[in-house]
Amino acid sequence: MNEHGLLHLSVQFAHYALVIMAIVYTFRIRWILGFKAGKERQASTGTPGRTDPKKGYMYSLANIMMPWAMESTRKKFFLYVQFVIFHLGVVAAIVQTFTLPFATKLHQHPIGGIAFTVIIGLAFLVGVYRIFRRIFDKYIRAISSPDDHFSLWLLTVWFFFGTLAAGYPVDKMTAIGMDGNLAMIIFFFMTAFFLLYVPFSKISHYLYYPFTRFYFGKSMGHRGVFPIVRKNA
Amino acid sequence: MPEDRSYKAEKVIERLGKKLNRQVVGSLAACVHCGMCTDSCHYVLANPGDPTFAPAWKADRLRKLFKRHYDWTGRVFPWWVGAKSVYTDKDLEELKDIVFGKCTNCRRCSINCPMGVDFATFNRMARGLLVSVGVMPEGVAVVSKDQWEIGNQMGVLREDYLDTIEWMEETIQDELDNPKAVIPIDKPNTDVVYTINPREVKYDPRTISDAAKIFHMAGENWTMPSEGWDMTNFGLFSGDDDLGGSVASRVYDKMHELKGKKIVISECGHGYRSTRCEGQNWAGMDVDFEMESSVITMRDYIKEGRIQVDKSKNTDKYTYHDSCNFARSCGLFEEPRELLNLVTDDFSEMYPNRSENYCCTGGGGAMSMSEYAPDRLKSAKIKADQLKATGANVVVTSCHNCVDGLADLIKHYKLDMKVTQLVNLVANALVIPEEAEVAVKEPDEVETLKGLFAGKKIMVVDDEPDLRVFYGSVLEDNGAEVIEAADGDEAIGLAMAELPDLITLDLSMPGKDGGKVFEALRKNDATASIPVCIITGRPELRSLIYDRPVPAPEGYLDKPVSEETLIRNVRKIFEVGRAMEKQPV
Repeated sequence: MNEHGLLHLSVQFAHYALVIMAIVYTFRIRWILGFKAGKERQASTGTPGRTDPKKGYMYSLANIMMPWAMESTRKKFFLYVQFVIFHLGVVAAIVQTFTLPFATKLHQHPIGGIAFTVIIGLAFLVGVYRIFRRIFDKYIRAISSPDDHFSLWLLTVWFFFGTLAAGYPVDKMTAIGMDGNLAMIIFFFMTAFFLLYVPFSKISHYLYYPFTRFYFGKSMGHRGVFPIVRKNA
Repeated sequence: MPEDRSYKAEKVIERLGKKLNRQVVGSLAACVHCGMCTDSCHYVLANPGDPTFAPAWKADRLRKLFKRHYDWTGRVFPWWVGAKSVYTDKDLEELKDIVFGKCTNCRRCSINCPMGVDFATFNRMARGLLVSVGVMPEGVAVVSKDQWEIGNQMGVLREDYLDTIEWMEETIQDELDNPKAVIPIDKPNTDVVYTINPREVKYDPRTISDAAKIFHMAGENWTMPSEGWDMTNFGLFSGDDDLGGSVASRVYDKMHELKGKKIVISECGHGYRSTRCEGQNWAGMDVDFEMESSVITMRDYIKEGRIQVDKSKNTDKYTYHDSCNFARSCGLFEEPRELLNLVTDDFSEMYPNRSENYCCTGGGGAMSMSEYAPDRLKSAKIKADQLKATGANVVVTSCHNCVDGLADLIKHYKLDMKVTQLVNLVANALVIPEEAEVAVKEPDEVETLKGLFAGKKIMVVDDEPDLRVFYGSVLEDNGAEVIEAADGDEAIGLAMAELPDLITLDLSMPGKDGGKVFEALRKNDATASIPVCIITGRPELRSLIYDRPVPAPEGYLDKPVSEETLIRNVRKIFEVGRAMEKQPV
C-alpha cells in the first residue's frame, strides 16, 4: 500500500474508532446511571438566600474556569496554566482529525495552521513536563498506575505527531485525497488507537467530570458552602 | 482468589457493593491522580515527603478495591489500572490505620479537587465498611457501644444527666438570685427544645448553665429533653449509618413526643451536621420541625433585643476557628462571626478561614483514637502556626470536638492561648437587669462558701509541683484538708495510710501512671470506695481509665482546670456521693 492509501486507511480507522468509542461511552454512562443517586432530605443550611443547589452546581461546573476559586489552583497557578494548555491541545488535536481531511482550508489559512501547531506543540511540551513530574515527583509517582503513565505517554507522543501533522505544508493537502507523509499517517493511526483506548483508561475522566462536579456542587450549594466565600488577609 | 479471602474481607467487598451510589461511584472513578489535592491536607503539610498522607494516595486504598470488584476495567486488567483486592484481616487492619488514622474527614481536599472528588464521603464509607466487620480503633468501638447501649456517646446515665441539669439550675438561680430561673425538663409544646453534647454534662457543665441563663434572660419558652438529648452522633465518625440513623431518630422521636417547635443544637460541629443534616438521610425520615444552631438563636436574641449584652465585659483578643462540619459541610461561617462581633470588641480573623479553614486536627473522632495521637499532634503544627499568627490570646470555636482538639494542640505547642465557645462569651456579656442582679453575698454566706469542703480530706496526685500547689490552694481555701502525692507509688501509699475523702488523680506521671494507680486503688478494699476525679492533660487517654475492669471514676476533667471548674466538680462529686448514701438499699 502506498503512502496515500495508508493515509486514507488511517483516517478511516480514526473515524471508525470514534464510533466505537462513542458506543463504549454509552455503556459507561449507562453503568454510572445504573447507580441510584443519593438524596439529601434536610432543609438547606448556610446563610439564607445566599446560595442554593443550582448556584452550587453552576459554580461547581464552572469551577475549572475559575483558577481563583480553589486554593489548589490559586496556589499552583503554573499547574493550572499547563492544565489549560494540555486540554486545549487535546481539543485542538481532536478537532484537526476532522479539519485536516474535511476542512483543509482552515489549515491553509496562515493563522489557522499556526494556531493548531502552536497549541498542540505547547501541549506536547506540557506532556513532556508531566511525564517528568509523574516519574520524579514522589507524591505523584506514589499514586500513579501503569495506565496513568501510559496514557500520558500516549497523549504526549500523539501531540508530537499532531504538531507535525498540523504543520504539514498546506499546499499538499487537498481534502481526503491529499498527499500524506509519515507524521500524518502516524497521527491518524495513533488517533485511532487513542480513541479505542480512551474508554478503558483514565483519559475517560471527562466522562465522569459532569457527574462528580454536578452532584458535589449541588450538595454544597444546598449546604450553603458553594460558591465559596473567601476573606483574604 | 476468593477461597483464600478471610470472612471479614469477603464481607467488606460484598457490603461495598451495597453502599455504592452515583455520587460515590463518580468520586471513585473520576480521580486522575493529578495531585492537586496534596497540599490541601494538614497531614501532608506536617509530614513533608511522605506520600502516604496525600489524599489521593489514601483515597486509592479504597479506590483499588472498588476497581478490582466493581469497575470492569479493574476486573479485566487489575494491574494496569492499579486495582487490588483485600484478602486478609491484616489488609483490613492496614486500611483501618489509613482511613481512621490518617484522615479526619475534614473535607478540605474535596473542595480543592478539580474533578469534584469527595474523598471525605467515601473515606467515611470505608470506615463504615470496616466497622461493620468489627475492624476499628478501640476508642471508636467504646464510644459507639456507649451510644448504642446508653444512648449517648459518653455513657452518661440518665440520673447523672438529670442531676447535672438540676445542679446547673441551682447555679443559675444562685447567680441570678432568682428561683424562677429554671431548666425545664420534658416540658411539652415549647418553642425551643435544647439538645446538647454529653461532653457538656461530663466535663463542661458551665456551657449548660450559660445557655440556660441566656434562655432565661431571653424569656424563652424552652425545655431540655430527658431522653434523646444527645445531638452528637458517632455514626458520622465511624461511618456506621445504622448507628447514625438510630441516634438521630432518638432526638427526632423525642421532639415529636414533646411537640416542640424547634430543636436548638448547642455549639457542636459534628452534632449540628449530624442532627441538622445527615441524620435525616441516615434514618430515612423527613422531619416537620425546625432545627438551628444555638449560634443563630443567640445572635437573633441579641438582634431582636431579647437579651442585652455588654461587649466590654469580654476583654481578651479573640480569633475564631471554623469547625469543618460547621463551615465546610453546613455553610455556617458568617453567623458565628456576627455573634462574636456582637459580644467582643477585639476580633482578628485567622487565615485561611471559613470553608477553607484547616481542621482542628481533633475531628473525625480523632480524639477518641489514642493510638493515632502522635500523628494527630504532629499534624496539628499547621493549626498551631495558624493560631499563633493571629496574635489572639483566646480562640473561639463553635464545636466541642474542636475545643478538645485545640486545647490539646495549644498545650502540645505551648501556645499562650485558651479556648472558649460563643455561649460562654454571650453569657459573660449578658446585662442582667436590676431585679435579676446577682445578689451580693453577705459575709456569713461567703464564710459558708469558704467552708464548702470543711471536714473533707482531699489527696491531690500530680507530678507537676505547680499544679499540686494550685489545686491544693483552691481546695484548702474552701475548707478542705489537702495531702499531696507526686507519683503513683506515693499516691497508693498515702491513700492507704490517710484514707482521704476524695482523690484528684493525674494520668501521665513518671513511674506508675495514673491508670495503674486508679486500678490499684479500686481493687483495694480499703480505698475502693474513695471517689476519684481524674485530671489529665491528655484526654485521649480516656480509654486507659474507662476500659479497666473496675468502676469508672466519679469525675474526669481535662487540663487546664480553672478554680471554678475544680470547685464545681469536687462539690458535685460530694453531692452525688451524699445522694447515693441517702438512697434506700
